[in-house]
Amino acid sequence: MSKPLRALLTLALLAAFAGALFYALRGQKQEQIAQQEAVAIASVTELSGLIALDVEPYFKDPRVQKLLAAKRLPVKVTRVGSRDMAAKAVAGAMPEFFFPSGVVAANQIADAARQANVNVSQSSPFHTPMVIASWEPIAKILVANGMATALQPKVYSVDMAKLTAAMLAKKRWKDLQGASAYDVSRGVLVSTTDVRRSNSAAMYLALTSHTLNGDVVTDRATARQVAGKLVELFKRQGYQENYVNGNFDDYVSIGIGKTPMAFIYENQLVSYALTKKGIGADMVLLYPSPTIINKVVFVATNERAKTLGELLSNDAELQSIAVEYGFRIADVARFAQAVKPTGLAIETRLSQVIDPPSYEVMQEMIDVVAKEMTQ
Amino acid sequence: MTSIRNLAGIGLLSIAALLVACNRSEPAPSPAPAAPAAPVPTLKIIATSDLRDAAPLEEMVRKATGVAIRFQFGGTMESTEAVLSGKTDADAAWFANAKYLLSDAQGQGRVKLQEKIMLSPIAVGLSESTAKKLGWDDPARAAKVSWKDITAAAKDGKLTYALSNPATSNQGFMALMGVVAAASQKAEVLNAADVDRAAISAFLKGYKLPGDNSTYLSEQFIVQQGTRVNAFINYESWLLSLNQSGKLREKLLLVYPNEGVSTADYPLMLLNDARRDEFQKVVAYLKSEPAQLWLARTTLRRPIVPEVAAKVTDLLPSQGMRVELPFSPDRALADGLIDAYLNEFRAPIASTFVLDTSGSMDGNGRRQQLVQAIHYIAGADSSLTGRIAKLTNREKLWLQPFSEQPYGRTAFEIPGGAASARGVQIQADSEAKQKVLGDVRDFADGLRMTGGTALYDAVLLSLKNMLEEKKKNPNYQYSVVAFTDGENNKGRSLEQFKRDYALLPEDVRGIPVFMVLFGEAQESALQDLVKTTGGRVFDARKTPLYSVFKDIRAYQ
Repeated sequence: MSKPLRALLTLALLAAFAGALFYALRGQKQEQIAQQEAVAIASVTELSGLIALDVEPYFKDPRVQKLLAAKRLPVKVTRVGSRDMAAKAVAGAMPEFFFPSGVVAANQIADAARQANVNVSQSSPFHTPMVIASWEPIAKILVANGMATALQPKVYSVDMAKLTAAMLAKKRWKDLQGASAYDVSRGVLVSTTDVRRSNSAAMYLALTSHTLNGDVVTDRATARQVAGKLVELFKRQGYQENYVNGNFDDYVSIGIGKTPMAFIYENQLVSYALTKKGIGADMVLLYPSPTIINKVVFVATNERAKTLGELLSNDAELQSIAVEYGFRIADVARFAQAVKPTGLAIETRLSQVIDPPSYEVMQEMIDVVAKEMTQ
Repeated sequence: MTSIRNLAGIGLLSIAALLVACNRSEPAPSPAPAAPAAPVPTLKIIATSDLRDAAPLEEMVRKATGVAIRFQFGGTMESTEAVLSGKTDADAAWFANAKYLLSDAQGQGRVKLQEKIMLSPIAVGLSESTAKKLGWDDPARAAKVSWKDITAAAKDGKLTYALSNPATSNQGFMALMGVVAAASQKAEVLNAADVDRAAISAFLKGYKLPGDNSTYLSEQFIVQQGTRVNAFINYESWLLSLNQSGKLREKLLLVYPNEGVSTADYPLMLLNDARRDEFQKVVAYLKSEPAQLWLARTTLRRPIVPEVAAKVTDLLPSQGMRVELPFSPDRALADGLIDAYLNEFRAPIASTFVLDTSGSMDGNGRRQQLVQAIHYIAGADSSLTGRIAKLTNREKLWLQPFSEQPYGRTAFEIPGGAASARGVQIQADSEAKQKVLGDVRDFADGLRMTGGTALYDAVLLSLKNMLEEKKKNPNYQYSVVAFTDGENNKGRSLEQFKRDYALLPEDVRGIPVFMVLFGEAQESALQDLVKTTGGRVFDARKTPLYSVFKDIRAYQ
């Protein structure tokens, strides 16, 4: 090989290397940017939060985790019973947010936080009405006794005034008209969770108090009187599960023999239907008339958490994912569309919705029932 | 040009190095290099003894999740008490039924998370011939059988059953609750005032085979089916397993009384919050299809996951609708019913305690241990399990010391209490009862240890004594409980004992012998003896003598 040729070759090689070097360095730069981004996201401190069981699957969803991370708002959540949360709102160890089920628990938390000199802000990114999960033979008996009317296949409206009256009159299933499909000697009762521990039972108390009083209970004396009469709807059930999934699990797994009627959140049955592509053959959905809406309440104890709360309410994607877990969002049409493939004919427009009593009145009623239950 | 070539060489090298560096695609450097995984401590799970058949899960869970778990088995009441009082060091608890625990505020506080794993309703398993005689072999009739019918059959002597002790186990207690519910005619949950005492006493007329765990009862049921008992009340899973075992003389027909039965729902509960992650892994595995299918196929419990349940319908009876008996969280009812069961309703206990007072008992604090144990059953422990160990109303007790030979047998009888027609409540000890308890303690204090060990002579003599008593008063539950720390070195040998035992009247087979060993006692010889007489060996070298007593009581 001649000298010039060799020099030329060397130069060509060098040029090639230089090019490679340039591209390699450029690639490295991009990589670095990506890495810095990742480091930045990873180094963002996780927001610590206590959440109710209802929203645990939502936060476990990888899409939610990714969206929150991208917004620099990653979370570290621990599941705690809604009504146990207020006890965790203590100075020095205050979680950055709480996500309890229900206004009662949220107000308890806000109270506790105020006592620890922490101001909170509340918002409700999603909500769900309270419903009764039941069985076709039970619904038919209720219809035969004038306590329910069919709305759609597998969906009924139940007259809460008549049902409550039957329960307070200690009717047994076998005493009702046309009860041959469920002629058991157990009393007619709706299964709830333990009112001392769980939000869904408090919602039941709020609803039945409205029924019994004919209107929202507004003063403490009436609260005591009404709650005193309603105690037996809880006490006569015997042992109650102290978390709402226990009640729904019994309904699904053990069935009609244990749980003819279960007071649950609509999102539990909807999310079940979405996962299973429909509900079991004999399962039916009863909408209490009137009913009451449960809000999942986001309680932020600092500014950053407040931003997270706003994001959960306003981000279209995050809202869509909530619908997949059976929650209702401000956009009713989107909810209805998501549920449609399951064949579950949910009531999109709930005509008769009552307001819950004030926090003080609610607390008074819970105290009356809790005291009786403990005796 | 060597220099250029060298340069090129360096260039090549560095580019190569750069490319290598670039190819290492780490999205984000982890803040700290991962520390070598520290060995994770075993997840200790306190479990009710009816879950023994699920023990292979220890290995399966480890393989599937990497979490090492270990079960510690015990009775329902005992395990409940351990969790309630915080005395257990277990990280989690797995009970057939946790409603006793969770209806108590303190108990709720101990449980951080809970998840139901599987289901098994309590059922009445009737020998086929018995079902036929009662007319319950007809499915239409079987569906209508009530606790009332069962109580009537027991009262008339047509139904004799095995059942684990209502004072220590969930199955036994919930069976009593069924009877109470049927007799009260109430549509909802019961309280202490609702208890119809006559109905309970009628139902218990058929209670012929007691015991404190399902393994023991199953073994005994196989032996005694058709002679002493013709039915077995237990979780469906145990009854179906017995049917499958091929060891029964005749198969059991399962009846689910129509007022309702209690279903065990096996919640797995987290006690130690620091082990939350592992706990959730274990739960996820236990609720997965492979684990649920294994549980259904191997232990015949119903899957909690409905989709899996749909796949094993061939294994489990599809008994239409089973009504669930509401569980009463009324502690006064539970405490009162257990107290009344022990002191009033159950067949009273009559037993001879054979006490080793040989010279070796003086050493190593053994005498003190024995005396303390007797003080314990004749004392006043008001804990859940303490009440069970204590001498009960109407109970007859003979203390039979021995050394070179048996001597100085002394009889004690606890007086009965006053009973009302309806309702139950815990009764304070009467003065007369306190007096007898004091006499028992005094006797123990007077024991002197000297001489040899004529164990088999003492046991044989006591069996003869129990036979005599049984002839006079057949309505007692007879047994012999022997305490020994040494080898037999006086009187009869084991071979001679067996020969003489064989000559005793047939009735002796209903009198089990419980051997409690400590010190140098030879376990194999004692095992040999109880194989002949029926009964069990309890090892007081591993367990304190007072807790052995608690165990023995559950078999009496």
